Amino acid sequence: MGRESSERPTYTILAIITLKKERILGGSQLALWAENEEQQKTMTQDIAKAMKADVVKMKNGDYLIIRV
Amino acid sequence: MKENIISTDHLIIIVTATIVGTMARALTIKEDFRQYPTYPNGYLIHLVTGFVAASLGAVAIPALMTKNFVAVTFLALAIQQFRDVRKAEKESLKDLENTESAYRGDAYIDGIAKTFEARNYFALIVSFTTALTIQLVDSKFISINIMSGTITGLIVLYVIKRFSKGKVLGDIADVKEGKIEVRESELFVDGIFVSNLLGTENAANMFQKEGLAVVIIPREEHFRIALDHYGQRQAALFEATRSVGVKRYHFTRKEYEKGKIVITLVPIIKDVNKLIEAVKKTPVLESVKKSHSVMDTNLFGRE
Repeated sequence: MGRESSERPTYTILAIITLKKERILGGSQLALWAENEEQQKTMTQDIAKAMKADVVKMKNGDYLIIRV
Repeated sequence: MKENIISTDHLIIIVTATIVGTMARALTIKEDFRQYPTYPNGYLIHLVTGFVAASLGAVAIPALMTKNFVAVTFLALAIQQFRDVRKAEKESLKDLENTESAYRGDAYIDGIAKTFEARNYFALIVSFTTALTIQLVDSKFISINIMSGTITGLIVLYVIKRFSKGKVLGDIADVKEGKIEVRESELFVDGIFVSNLLGTENAANMFQKEGLAVVIIPREEHFRIALDHYGQRQAALFEATRSVGVKRYHFTRKEYEKGKIVITLVPIIKDVNKLIEAVKKTPVLESVKKSHSVMDTNLFGRE
């Protein structure tokens, strides 16, 4: 990608919503633990709507909320 | 007292050349599909600066004819004024960056600003050649002087307009509709991965139902250099979002194997032909353009 990564837009990770407590290791973003998938989806959507942000579903099942 | 008043001949030269020069600027103000400059303030600003440029070109010949050589140095002032036009245009477009659906990007802004500066030179050159022609023809019939000056001015305008005309993406690449596919939360267009920002079901459904995509395919291998340029892709994305609007999401991605470029978005107006047309008509940026034939030259320095 080269220079592309330094061009706008810059992304900020606002939150991570996980199903496994041990994956919460810290960092500047909000890290939340959900009890089940349904709760995880709802939490993700609520935060994303409020923050007008985008959502990435990671292959390991965690959700990232990202703002451009 | 009367000796201090400008002569009729010179007055004709100045007035004719100023009118033809301003006309040249007016003819080059295009409110095309890019909707820029916006009517009516944009028009007024550029017509007035065009008029000033034309006036400067028009008075140069009478100034020389009256041996007023110092007065010709104001042409340097004109250059400064045109640079200010470029600067003002650049600043204004950069101020607008955060309010647009997609960024124009620095390369595109630079290109637009340069075009505006160049079009002021159009007015200056056209008015100057008009004035020069009237002076050279110097017929006793005023109408012949005016006609010859105007015709020469228009010919010069045609020539420099052709000279400064750039290429558009449609000249160097084919643009066709792309097939959108959402696999889980990942977006693919014609099998090319574009983004994984569709993490929610809503986003995936929206893109699947309402999304539009185009794929830009370079016609020659060397056109990939221009198409791969980040500023060029940003310009194409900007024009795409400008023409069909953005309801949500817009992405651009390049594919490395064949150099295809994907532009995809969820538009307000779902009209793929409009989107293709907008991308095709995106200018190839001056800062990106490279002359392929020059790269091939073998004049000196090689055995």
